[in-house]
Amino acid sequence: MCGLVGFLYKQAPGEGALGEPILSMLDVLGSRGTDGTGVALYGPARPGVRVARVRLAGKDAPRVQVDRIVKSLSPLARLIAVDVQDDYVRVELSSDSDAAALAAAMEGSDPGVLVFSLGERLEIVKQVGPARELRERYGLDHFRGTHGIGHTRLATESRVDVAHCHPFWARPFPDIAVVHNGQLTNYHKMRRRFEMRGVRFYTENDSEFIAIYLAHKLAAGASLEDALEDSLEELDGTFTYLVSTPEGIGLARDAFATKPMVLAETDRWIALASEEVALRRAIAEPFETREPGARTVRVWRRLGVRAPLVPVGAH
Amino acid sequence: LTTRDCGGLTTRQINLLVRELTAAGETDIRLLNPVAQHNLLVALFGNVRVTLDGSAGYFCAGMIDGPTVVIDGNAGWSVAENMMAGRVTVNGNAGSSTGATIRGGTLIVRGNAGARTGIAMKGGTIVVRGDTGYMTGFMMQRGTMIICGDAGEALGDSMYLGRIFVGGKIAELGNDAVIEPLTEDDQTFLADTLDQAEMTNGYDFKKVVAGRRLWNFSKKEMGLWIQAL
Repeated sequence: MCGLVGFLYKQAPGEGALGEPILSMLDVLGSRGTDGTGVALYGPARPGVRVARVRLAGKDAPRVQVDRIVKSLSPLARLIAVDVQDDYVRVELSSDSDAAALAAAMEGSDPGVLVFSLGERLEIVKQVGPARELRERYGLDHFRGTHGIGHTRLATESRVDVAHCHPFWARPFPDIAVVHNGQLTNYHKMRRRFEMRGVRFYTENDSEFIAIYLAHKLAAGASLEDALEDSLEELDGTFTYLVSTPEGIGLARDAFATKPMVLAETDRWIALASEEVALRRAIAEPFETREPGARTVRVWRRLGVRAPLVPVGAH
Repeated sequence: LTTRDCGGLTTRQINLLVRELTAAGETDIRLLNPVAQHNLLVALFGNVRVTLDGSAGYFCAGMIDGPTVVIDGNAGWSVAENMMAGRVTVNGNAGSSTGATIRGGTLIVRGNAGARTGIAMKGGTIVVRGDTGYMTGFMMQRGTMIICGDAGEALGDSMYLGRIFVGGKIAELGNDAVIEPLTEDDQTFLADTLDQAEMTNGYDFKKVVAGRRLWNFSKKEMGLWIQAL
C-alpha cells in the first residue's frame, strides 16, 4: 500500500495554499497506511537564505537540543530565524558552507537530532502516525508555496520510526525529495554499489536510495526526464514514485503498474494522488482525472521556470 | 427516478441507502456526489438501475447480480469485479484490473482501461472503446473482450479460453496467445455487442485466443514453459 500525493501550481512564481490541499489528500489516503505521514513542500525562494527542518528526537528538552544546534551552527552560519514547533525546529540561515557540513554539524550536537531537509526552498516534515497530527502539531495547513509531495506509509521492509518515514531528502543534494510506493528488489545490490563509491545512506529504507540515486544522476548533468527513464531500467521491483525538485515534480511507474496513481490537471495546477477519492475530497473545483500507464515517465515544471538544478555541495 | 445526495455519507451508508430504496421498489436511482469513494454498490442484486453522478473508487459494482450501473465519471481499480450478471457502464476511464474475474454480464468502458483488464475473467463481455494497459486478459478463462483501441504488452498472457478482439494495435502478445481469423459468428457478435453498447463498428478487428500449448505440460516444450514462467 502506501499513499502518494503531489500538487503543483503551474504559473511562476505561483505561490498559493499548498499545505492545505496536500494534507487534505493525505487525510483521505490514511486508509493506505498510518505508519507514517510526511510532506516535502517548496516555499518561496529568498536569495541567500537556506532553511532546515530538524527533528528533535534527543533525550533532553527540545529547548536544550535547540541551544546545542544553534551553538554547533555558529562557526558555520549566520542564523536568521529559529522557530521551535513541538519536537521540530525550523532554522533559517545564511552560510557559505555546503549542506553536508551544516547537516553534519547539527546532527553532531546530539545523537537524537535528525536533519530531514536543508535547502533553499524544500521543507520536509514527517511523523509516525496519521496526517491529522502533522496538521495540528506543526501548523502546516497554512504553508504557502509552489509545489510539494506527500506520503502516507504502510511499512513493509524497514522499521517504523520517523527517520524511515517519507519523504526522503536526497541528502546532501539540496531541494530534492522522493516519495515512493513499492519495494526495490535490487536495493541492497544498488546501495552497495553506491557505498563502494563513498556515498552515504542515513536509513535502511529502499526509498531513500531512489532519492540519492536520482540526485546523483542530476548532479552528473542528466535531465530529470533522463534520470527517471534510467530508473525504469536500473531499479528492479515494484514502484510508483514522485520526485520533487525546485523545477517541479516528476513521476515514474514500473512496467507492471501495480502501484496506483491518478492525475488531475487544469490550466492552473496539477494534482497527483494514489486514489481519485483523495483528489475529489481535497479539491472542490471540477477537474478530469486519468491514470498514467505502466512505464510512465513524466515531469511537470512550473511555467516560466528555467532555472537549472545546481547541485550544491554534492560531496 | 429517485435522486439522493451522497455528500457526507460513508460507503456503508450509501450502500444501505441503495438497498433500502431497492427493497422499497425503486427501479431507477441517481446518486449525487459519490466523490470516488471505494466499494460503492457492491453485491447489489435485482432489477434496478443506479447512476453515479461522478467518479467511483475501487471495486465499484463488484459481485453484482442483475442490476444496471452507470458511472458518469471514472472508475478506480477493479470495477465490476466478479460480476455475476448485469450491465456496468463507465463513461470515463477505468483503472487497473477492470472487470477482473467477471462471470457474466456486460461491462462497457467508454474511455481507456488500465493494466490487467479482464484478468482471469470467467464469462461475460467487456467492451473498451479506448486502449487497455499491460497484461490485459491475463489467465482469462472464458468470455469475450472487445478493445476498440490499442492493447498494451503481454495481451492474453497464459489465457485458457475465451477471445479478445482488438481494433487497434497490439503492443505485444502474451505467452501462448495467438491470432486467428474471425468467424462469421464473431462478426455477428461484434456487430450486435457494439450496437448495444452504442458504439460504432468501424474497426478492423483482430482475434486473440489461447494457443493451447500451455494446457498440458510436455518436457519437449520446456523452453516454452521457462519463458511463460
